Amino acid sequence: MPLTKTEQIVNASLKARRKKERAFQLFGIAAIALALFFLVTLMGSILSKGIPGFFQYYITLEIELDRERLDPLGDLSEQSLFDGQAKKIIEEVVLEKTGAKSRNGRKAARKLLSNGSDTRLTSFVRANPSLLNSTQKVKFALDDDADSYFRGFVKKETPEQQRRLSNIQIEYLDKMNEDGLISHEISDYLFFGSASRNAEMAGIKGAAIGSVLTLLVCFVIAFPIGVATAVYLEEFAPKNKITEIIEININNLAAVPSVVFGILGLAIFINLFGLPRSIPLVGGMVLALMTLPTIIISSRAAIKSVPPSIRDGALGVGASKVQATMHHVVPLAIPGMLTGTIIGMAQALGETAPLLMIGMVAFIVDIPGSVTEPGTVLPVQIFMWADFAERMFVQKTSSAIIILLLFLILMNGGAIWLRKKLERRW
Amino acid sequence: MTDIVETIVNCDGVSVFYGENRAINNISIDIGKQSITAFIGPSGCGKSTFLRTINRMNDTIEGCRIEGRVTVDGQDIYDASVDVVPLRAKVGMVFQKPNPFPKTIYENVAYGPRIHGLARNKSQLDDIVEKALTGAGLWAEVRDRLQDSGTSLSGGQQQRLCIARTIAVEPQIILMDEPCSALDPIATSKIEALMSELSNEYTIIIVTHSMQQAARVSQKTAYFHLGNLIEYGDTKEIFVRPKDPQTEAYISGKIG
Repeated sequence: MPLTKTEQIVNASLKARRKKERAFQLFGIAAIALALFFLVTLMGSILSKGIPGFFQYYITLEIELDRERLDPLGDLSEQSLFDGQAKKIIEEVVLEKTGAKSRNGRKAARKLLSNGSDTRLTSFVRANPSLLNSTQKVKFALDDDADSYFRGFVKKETPEQQRRLSNIQIEYLDKMNEDGLISHEISDYLFFGSASRNAEMAGIKGAAIGSVLTLLVCFVIAFPIGVATAVYLEEFAPKNKITEIIEININNLAAVPSVVFGILGLAIFINLFGLPRSIPLVGGMVLALMTLPTIIISSRAAIKSVPPSIRDGALGVGASKVQATMHHVVPLAIPGMLTGTIIGMAQALGETAPLLMIGMVAFIVDIPGSVTEPGTVLPVQIFMWADFAERMFVQKTSSAIIILLLFLILMNGGAIWLRKKLERRW
Repeated sequence: MTDIVETIVNCDGVSVFYGENRAINNISIDIGKQSITAFIGPSGCGKSTFLRTINRMNDTIEGCRIEGRVTVDGQDIYDASVDVVPLRAKVGMVFQKPNPFPKTIYENVAYGPRIHGLARNKSQLDDIVEKALTGAGLWAEVRDRLQDSGTSLSGGQQQRLCIARTIAVEPQIILMDEPCSALDPIATSKIEALMSELSNEYTIIIVTHSMQQAARVSQKTAYFHLGNLIEYGDTKEIFVRPKDPQTEAYISGKIG
């Protein structure tokens, strides 16, 4: 059968059309491939640096827990343990194990263990007072330079003047390693330590707790205000110029650089209200300002997605406007509101700049016990570690990034779970 | 001509405006108690708008303005002293699309009595729910699944659930805005039978696109065209001997 005229024209153009389609598809695939490449590179880099950061080298020493020397006052009090000779006892064992005799050798050997070893010993004693007056195996962290040697960052072949460990220190480390005293284990300092200039002792506990406290404050402030604003604007506010301007401004606020909120917080909460610097309370309030637009926008979208027929149904049986809103619209919009809130909070969790403005970048060793005690947060801790020169901090930075990402994945997973669980159909 | 025994809704010179647009033009109508009145007319003729003025559902529409006087039971419902909450408890409404709340069947029906405080305790509430569901002809079908979601029912059942929800607060008037337009013929016939039954107790005003439906269920019919009330009278009269040529054109299928 001969082709109709239309068919002939269509057939002639088919080739060009197919070509265009293929080009479009290829372009999309290329874009995704590029994105995947960067993602894989990023994850590869973070994981390859970060996973070793979860481990560190420990040395196990047999310590004679002599009560007289460790606890001179005999009451296990902080003062008593501080007055005791924990440091000296450890050094004696180290000198014995290394066999250091000369003055220089003894000096070099003492530097192989972490500065925090005596504190570690006294806390061990405090936790196990029954073990006093016996000989126990206790694990101490190696100094970060010694640690770097075992990681291969400090090499024997490097001339002595150019490396941070002397020949004699390397000799001692090798000797102790041959004796089986050195072990490579999951770093307890990383998870339970706090800010420290000593790389081997630095940990994220303080920052993690600071993050939790800050986000708590942020949620407690931002969620109710955000939801109330969204409900009012969507359900009750008259539609006029003023509400229109408010709406436009809320949408614009979502795009304001976060550091601006930090300056605002500095000016209002700290300078005007006189709240202390560096505390999670102020940090949470600043992040709440930053998160509010996100929460308001997503809550309004959630309210808009509730079908009007539900409102009509409630109004039709004589519910007041407030009842229709509170009994029907808000409960149906809650999943969407929570999802938006969690995404906003996840954004706040990763925020550094505004917190720098209000002083949460301070070097704080103590772990904050409440929202009014100075603290820092995970991303700021990462920012600070990234600034330090020691090799071990490079790895710890990546480890902390992994932990931060895990937090974020957890929160986003929570958002997805909540949405699935609370989702209702009509 | 069956006369109106007792007027319950009286409209006098009612006009409705959406902004500058006049949707309803100077309508006066009396609606009798315990009867079924049908509003018919082509799409966009204002019959739904007019229906929604009777329980002030138009209040929720931005820029909607009403002139004239509407009285229910002798009370001017647009008077400043009138609260819409008791008004809507008295004048219930069933919508075009079944719109049960995404809650259990029980909660759907119990919602109205609960917010108005009609039941003093759980067993009273149970009685109200059973009575309303029975009244809506749904009790036998759902008695064993009161805790299922209202949205799990079929379309026709959902619409009857909405009727049950409305009659649970014992209104005097039920407004029905094309209640069967989303339903199949079997569900429609069930709703129509239900309407006839309900009209013994309630005044029903129904907006419908189906002239057969108006002819089947209503005692009085009002024909609307372009915001005007063209003709109002006994349903039999309107369908058999329409006085107005426009009405005749519509019911004979010439316009619509």
